[in-house]
Amino acid sequence: MRKHRTYLVIFVLLLSVVTAIAAETRWVSSEGTTLKAESSAASETIADVAVGSEVTVIESGGRWLKVRTASGKEGWLFAGRVSETQPAAEVSGGDGGIFGNSMKSSQISTAKADSGRSIRGLSPGAAQYAKNRGTPELYKKSLDVVLARKVTPKELKTFLKEGKIGEYAQGEGGKK
Amino acid sequence: MKTVLILVCLILPLSASTALAGFFESLANPESKEWKIITGATQVLSSTQEIDYPTERNIGESLALEGLQRFGNPVANEQLQKYVNLVGSAVAANSTRATIPYQFAVLDSQVQNAFAVPGGVIFVSRALVDILESEAELAAVLAHEIGHVSAKHALKSTRRAQFFQGVGTITAANLKGDTGKQFASAINDMQGVLFDKGLDKEMEFEADLAAMEAAYRTGYDPSAMIRVLEKLQKLEATSREKKGSWFSTHPPLDERIARLQTQLRHYPDFAAQASVKERFAKYGRVK
Repeated sequence: MRKHRTYLVIFVLLLSVVTAIAAETRWVSSEGTTLKAESSAASETIADVAVGSEVTVIESGGRWLKVRTASGKEGWLFAGRVSETQPAAEVSGGDGGIFGNSMKSSQISTAKADSGRSIRGLSPGAAQYAKNRGTPELYKKSLDVVLARKVTPKELKTFLKEGKIGEYAQGEGGKK
Repeated sequence: MKTVLILVCLILPLSASTALAGFFESLANPESKEWKIITGATQVLSSTQEIDYPTERNIGESLALEGLQRFGNPVANEQLQKYVNLVGSAVAANSTRATIPYQFAVLDSQVQNAFAVPGGVIFVSRALVDILESEAELAAVLAHEIGHVSAKHALKSTRRAQFFQGVGTITAANLKGDTGKQFASAINDMQGVLFDKGLDKEMEFEADLAAMEAAYRTGYDPSAMIRVLEKLQKLEATSREKKGSWFSTHPPLDERIARLQTQLRHYPDFAAQASVKERFAKYGRVK
């Protein structure tokens, strides 16, 4: 009877421990995520972490999480950049732009599909659609300009920093 | 025998609890597959899953050309357009579909509206930007539209869009002749949904919640989405021009606001997040 009780205790203990461990897994879900040495965007960058990477949460501090990556690196991530569920993989992607890192692993890129074009411009299908429909040149040119606008990762980082947004917010726990 | 029993006691809970923990963890997340299955909220598997990105982009850009003709060209203010692209890119990076390129533009239209076409081109009217008061509010509007792109709502909205499934990759070459006519017909149907009829009510709610989540994850105050809808609610009572606006193509605003207020409970520190009024006043004003 006593032995059975011991087994039961072991069972319950293991159940709770394993549940706790499993609950600490997160996935990186934002582009441009970097592992930081401290819970601050201003601290040293340890590594870039790609979308879909699995991390284990070691510690939580406000909107920052101390994590361990699959390769064993430890550091801090802004909580907004991770998700409790694995993000869906995009089978075929666009032309990169700001989404450089993850786009490199895309099976097909628009840039590749549209290699005949020197600038971003209209997709070939849309250009043919415009031709079939007799779309006025003015609107084709307007859309060309819209499609040509790019935001680089550096511009975005500066923008968030200047706005004191998210991981660049001042004060405790990423608050502004 | 006892050893075997002990081993079973050790291994069983390890494997079972890991699986269970994952399952229960997923259940806690309203966006998870498990949650949707349990709540019955899973949408019918759409044929759009087989549309590849270049084709989605061709469809979207064709629709964008129609949208420009309908609502007007982009406002000739490069500083404003760049600013809107920065705000949009910030929330897009934290959306559920962060790995495709997005482009944003403010159109010279007096109707309060914003719409997204498949593939990631997003338009917002100057009239809608005019009523906003902060970067967080602009982020909310753009994140709502990103939510539609992420969930491929437009592609799921017309029966004729299923035509794209059988065609494979749309190219300039196969848009000549009958396929071109069918393509134009499908684009016409989708225009009707996007510009006149509006998307399914549940799709709008879904985009609202996605907007709040992406805004919060970026670091913007997620309650800004509610403030935008409240502003539109005030305008709705007095606005003469309702055709094609967020009033006519979206579900009732009071219902959307109520749902978002419930969702806001998930973000107890929402008020501490960024609003960024000063920068919006400097760059977000349409001149």
